[in-house]
Amino acid sequence: MQTHIISLLVEDHPGVLTRMSGMFTMRGINITSLTVSPCEKEGLSRMTVAIDGSESVLEQVRKQLSNLIEVVKVVDLAENKAIIRDLCLTKVHVKDSNARSTIMQLAETYGAEIVDATLDSVIIEVMDEPKRIDRFVDLMKQFGVKQLFRTGVTAIGRDTGLER
Amino acid sequence: MTGEKLSGAEIVVEELKNEGVEVAFGIPGGVLLDLYEVLYTEDAIRHILMRHEQCAAHAADGYARVSGRTGVCIATSGPGATNLVTGLANASMDSAPVVALTGQVPTAAIGSNAFQEASTFTITMPVTKYNFLVKRTEDLPKVVHNAFHIANTGRKGVVLIDLPKDVLATKVEVDLHQKETFAGYKPKIKPNKVQIKKAAEALVNAERPLIIAGGGVISTGATEELRHLVEFLGAPVVTTLMGKGAIPENHPFSMGMAGMHGRIYANRAINECDALLAIGTRFSDRLTGWQLDQFAPDATLIHVDIDAAEINKNIQVDIPIVGDAKLALGDIIKWLEKKKTADTSKSVWVQRIKEMHSACEECIKDVGRAGSSISDMFIKEISAILDSNAIVTTEVGQCQMFAAHYYITKKPRTFISSGGLGTMGFGFPAAIGAKVAAPDKKVVDIAGDGSFLMTCQDLATCVENDIPVVVCIFHNRYLGMVRQWQELFFDKRYSHTGLGSSPDFVKLAEAFGCYGERVEKPEELKDALHNAFESGKPAVIDMIVGNEDKILPMIPPGGGLTGMIGVERCKHI
Repeated sequence: MQTHIISLLVEDHPGVLTRMSGMFTMRGINITSLTVSPCEKEGLSRMTVAIDGSESVLEQVRKQLSNLIEVVKVVDLAENKAIIRDLCLTKVHVKDSNARSTIMQLAETYGAEIVDATLDSVIIEVMDEPKRIDRFVDLMKQFGVKQLFRTGVTAIGRDTGLER
Repeated sequence: MTGEKLSGAEIVVEELKNEGVEVAFGIPGGVLLDLYEVLYTEDAIRHILMRHEQCAAHAADGYARVSGRTGVCIATSGPGATNLVTGLANASMDSAPVVALTGQVPTAAIGSNAFQEASTFTITMPVTKYNFLVKRTEDLPKVVHNAFHIANTGRKGVVLIDLPKDVLATKVEVDLHQKETFAGYKPKIKPNKVQIKKAAEALVNAERPLIIAGGGVISTGATEELRHLVEFLGAPVVTTLMGKGAIPENHPFSMGMAGMHGRIYANRAINECDALLAIGTRFSDRLTGWQLDQFAPDATLIHVDIDAAEINKNIQVDIPIVGDAKLALGDIIKWLEKKKTADTSKSVWVQRIKEMHSACEECIKDVGRAGSSISDMFIKEISAILDSNAIVTTEVGQCQMFAAHYYITKKPRTFISSGGLGTMGFGFPAAIGAKVAAPDKKVVDIAGDGSFLMTCQDLATCVENDIPVVVCIFHNRYLGMVRQWQELFFDKRYSHTGLGSSPDFVKLAEAFGCYGERVEKPEELKDALHNAFESGKPAVIDMIVGNEDKILPMIPPGGGLTGMIGVERCKHI
């Protein structure tokens, strides 16, 4: 089992999300993360789908997605050839001033930002690769994560051209 | 045609005509009144009023399989559309080109749980290749064109157009016959040359080449190419259920159908071959069995399919070729002929195939003499009586497998069966579609008493529209295939498979105004079929067969190609 990130260019029609997610349901494959947004081309949307599965599951998914009429392009984004980002907003319990300073230090180390604070909680925003966010969230669990929101991954392939 | 205002319904009908539609199978309803108003005076499209929407879909499916053209069915919103679903799923599974038109409540009422509202768009999404919910009348020309384009190109399939009442009623000025298609829909039909060369080399260098022909060979019209390749290579050919008719089954290199209920020698050939060209087949479990290590273990596997997603889905192959079966076969032949390397070094294999083939033929000749069931004998009779142009459709279950095993199909598009979905009740309405597509050919539905009752109300359709199909019922008073499994694998505990003695099928036929006759012996069938055809009416022949007849041999569930049971009857092994 491995996480695969698939980037889709789709025609922006009603029902296209249902069609896409329905394909996964039909084949018994679980989507772990999904983002949809407009892209650089008018009339098209970009979807970023993350799934856990073997290479053969990935192959089947890629082909079945290509078969969908409204899917214009399917790209399998390998981790080392893409920039992958996730945004996380989390509300963490702050027991005392000791906890507060540790949380602040950890946040700084992870490039996270404290975007709101009360006497007994802070809201932290962190934007990073999903794995680094996982690690940060695990740390915050020591203090008590009250709420956690993640947008899901979006990713962009790196250019391969190294010379002009 | 700019400048003229047309209603949505008029646009739909104009576009249907432009796509060459001559027949539609349907049932009207409240939201479709505008469409039917236009059809009322439209001479170019013959509308056949069905008695159940499921039958409309199956009839369109049968029409498509026999003619190669896109079948069209029509149903109203809500229950009309939900009744279509089985038929659409059936056509989808077997890649038959069908366009379904459904009525929908007015756009403003969508989502309000209006009378006869169902979310047809979402319900039919998994059973169609594509579907449309049309929100603007202006979109109709493009939608209808794309529906037909998508249904009958690439891997063929079902496209549904959901038509809200106001979209049909509104009048607009619009350009008809628009050709714009989807940017992302470009089916790949041209096979890769390098892969073709690899495949041709593997076949010509093999000592024991074999071909599996599936439905793709028939749907692309590649049967001549297949025959040419078979004869050039001296390679035997087996078929799937969907591939029956891809090669004449009396051809010396035809080994018949392979798989779960296939001929034992066909399965043996798969097991023994060293190069296997599978063309237009998706390696369904009914072909491969469940022990995949018994499926062509020594062979270089070549797989030609129009759908890239079928490659390496069920079976891992060595040489994948994505493309149209006809083009691929043509390219392989061209390559082989150029090299002129076909030789006779395969004579041992050819000899073995011939022996296996004639042994199998001997067994089949023996049907009726050597402890076979009366059901086998009935099919053998049907096979002997019907001419090679006759079209046979089947229901699902024992009757279907008796037909697949013993009916000798000689031409493509003459054996029509529900392969993927296994829909009981398919054969009879499919026969209606077949007869409409080919009115000059005899059309016979090989049915079971269980299956036929699922769609028999459309005898009325046959009578009212003068569609004289003949239904031959294998009447064993059981849901036979399930009963067979209960006998073999559940210690004869016949849980809820007994059908009792109702109805009297002859009287049922007569009540509809059809011809009906009962036969109890296979030798009586010839006269009965003669009477049925002579009557000029739709007909039902009630064939009384053994209650506990079994279709054997078979691969038991979970088994593999070498593990067929019930082989005692195959005397020549």
